[in-house]
Amino acid sequence: MEIGIELVRNRIACALEAFRQVLYGAGAHEIVLYTVRLRANMENLFILVTLGDLIGVPILPPYYSLRLLPYLVPQVSSWKRRVLRERDILDADGLDLLA
Amino acid sequence: MNTLIALVIGVVVIYLAYMFYAKRVDATIIKADPKKATPAKMYMDGVDFSPTDRNVLYGYQFKSIAAAGPIVGAITAGNLWGWLPSLLWLLVGVSFIGWVQDYSAMMMAVRKDGDSLTAISHKLISPRTRTIFLLFIFVYLLMIVGAFGNMLAGTLNTQPSVPLGIVVLAVAGMFAGQMLYKWKMDLIVTTIIVVGVTLLAILIGPLVVDAVKGFNGALNQLGLMIYYVETTGAVLPFTTSYMFWLLFVVVFSYLGATLPIWRYAQPVNYIGFWVMALTIVGGLLGAVLALFVKPAAATFTLAAYKVYDAGVGGALQPMWPMLFVTIACGAISGWHALVSSVGTGRQLEYETDALPVGAGAMFSEMLLALLALLAISVAGKLTGTAPAMFASGIGGFLSVFGLDPTYGAALGFAAFVIIVITVTQLALRFMRVVLAEWLGDTWAPAKNIHIGTIISAILMIIIVLSGTFTYLWQLFGGANQLMASLALMLVTLWLVETKKNPTYAFWPMVFMYVTTLAANLITAYNLYVTVLLRNIGKPELMFAVIGAGVMIVIAVFLDVAALYIGWDAWKAYGRLKAGKVATAPAE
Repeated sequence: MEIGIELVRNRIACALEAFRQVLYGAGAHEIVLYTVRLRANMENLFILVTLGDLIGVPILPPYYSLRLLPYLVPQVSSWKRRVLRERDILDADGLDLLA
Repeated sequence: MNTLIALVIGVVVIYLAYMFYAKRVDATIIKADPKKATPAKMYMDGVDFSPTDRNVLYGYQFKSIAAAGPIVGAITAGNLWGWLPSLLWLLVGVSFIGWVQDYSAMMMAVRKDGDSLTAISHKLISPRTRTIFLLFIFVYLLMIVGAFGNMLAGTLNTQPSVPLGIVVLAVAGMFAGQMLYKWKMDLIVTTIIVVGVTLLAILIGPLVVDAVKGFNGALNQLGLMIYYVETTGAVLPFTTSYMFWLLFVVVFSYLGATLPIWRYAQPVNYIGFWVMALTIVGGLLGAVLALFVKPAAATFTLAAYKVYDAGVGGALQPMWPMLFVTIACGAISGWHALVSSVGTGRQLEYETDALPVGAGAMFSEMLLALLALLAISVAGKLTGTAPAMFASGIGGFLSVFGLDPTYGAALGFAAFVIIVITVTQLALRFMRVVLAEWLGDTWAPAKNIHIGTIISAILMIIIVLSGTFTYLWQLFGGANQLMASLALMLVTLWLVETKKNPTYAFWPMVFMYVTTLAANLITAYNLYVTVLLRNIGKPELMFAVIGAGVMIVIAVFLDVAALYIGWDAWKAYGRLKAGKVATAPAE
């Protein structure tokens, strides 16, 4: 009997958690995605200005950029992929808002 | 017939289609593998490629695809042909075509490294397919802003309880952006404040009716009129107050198109989501309970089947193909394939999540379209526009909970207008982006956000003032469904390339392709016969004639472009069948 009640409680808890996640996905997820992209754009620009030479932009890293290098190395490969990835009109911001 | 029976039928059909058809395709043809790395896991940059829980993605996908489309399509079709054909198309369309497109486009993007549909079309079919897709998107957006602008201006002009809610929505949207992004306030607190204020304004709307009527009356003293031609051939006027509200919609959309997304478009959309969610949940629950609490609000009064009466206009509205482009979202919509491939496809954590997310969200969207159809079916005996009947039906469902039908209808109206206007402002924004993409290299001013938006707004106004909402909506449906058939064409070619059985996508593609080609030709014919031919040379009908001419050109262009893509796809099929490497020839 107690195991049965526990099972029902767990199932209700799982269902509520799933509902909460669906509500988050429908309401707030696009805001989070947008904020993350906003931050990533600024990061892209910063790394471009400091280490643009890595993707062929003729910005020779000055002394201060090289001092930042150890902190930026973990992000360089994903930064390169983000900046150089092929984009088209469907990558424009807000497409997911337009239903 | 009543709402409960219709809902039960809808839920049963969804269950059967998902459990016995969709799951079978997923397991035996696509063979989704939870152990295979998706692009979200492979690239995981935490920005565009980020593995996300399936429940979150389901909500995100549903929000991305479900808005004004399923509502407007269902109520327009119900008004034209009755509830029975509309219901049948919703059920059959989503079961055999809608989920197929959404799910397959998502899986195709996942298996092709998160490429967008246009990028895949470039590689799989031909480079010019990508260009044609862009043109389709522009036409789709132009028809949306035209059809919705027409509907919005008409509703704001004739429903004096609605404008207050929309004005407050605009102000609340600005505040929401400021609160979230600048003042860094908590999301829940911000939501309660801005959504609460907007709902309050909606409920106060019926109390300021006299003031708005007085305002409209004062405007109409100016006596400016623009004439348009109805689908029956009747010549009717747009009044000064109509044109004022049209300008209001344009300004509202201009702000959404030019301000940073976080400042206006996104928070307005966010508030609109909550208003829509409350209306959907309240409406669905009310539709279920109505039979037991208030049977009059649950019984269908709309005719099950109507033959469209064109009057002296001579318009053709045969059920095939026109029903299938009038109800777009809710049964099948090309736009979903674009969103599925770019947005959701890059966030899938496991391949096996594609079915509950892609197909699940599409089936859920059908329920929204069904709700709209139920609302108009119970209000069927009323005269008035389709939005008025929808609002009355929703008011009836909400009255089950004790809400006065006047306030329930005001909420239904306002929810409808809010949903439509949030889509309109985003569509204008994307028109500006597409124009910049297209023309920006050859004509630099197109890249200026204000010039691009003004050009788009002028095109929108011309299309709206042509007056023929039904044709606008059907041309929008034609563009949208043609994109759907092209998405299914891509899926078919991808299945052939990967040596899988393409039948489940091929026949829906053929049906949509032939249907939309025919529908566009019929729309062009209707515009020619009812508007252009009868009224050319009449100066007072200049806008109607110019608008009709533009739409005829667009309808023919859509079909010619589709034939080009069809020809390129046929050649691509030959290449893939011969086992040649699937690279498209250079342009």
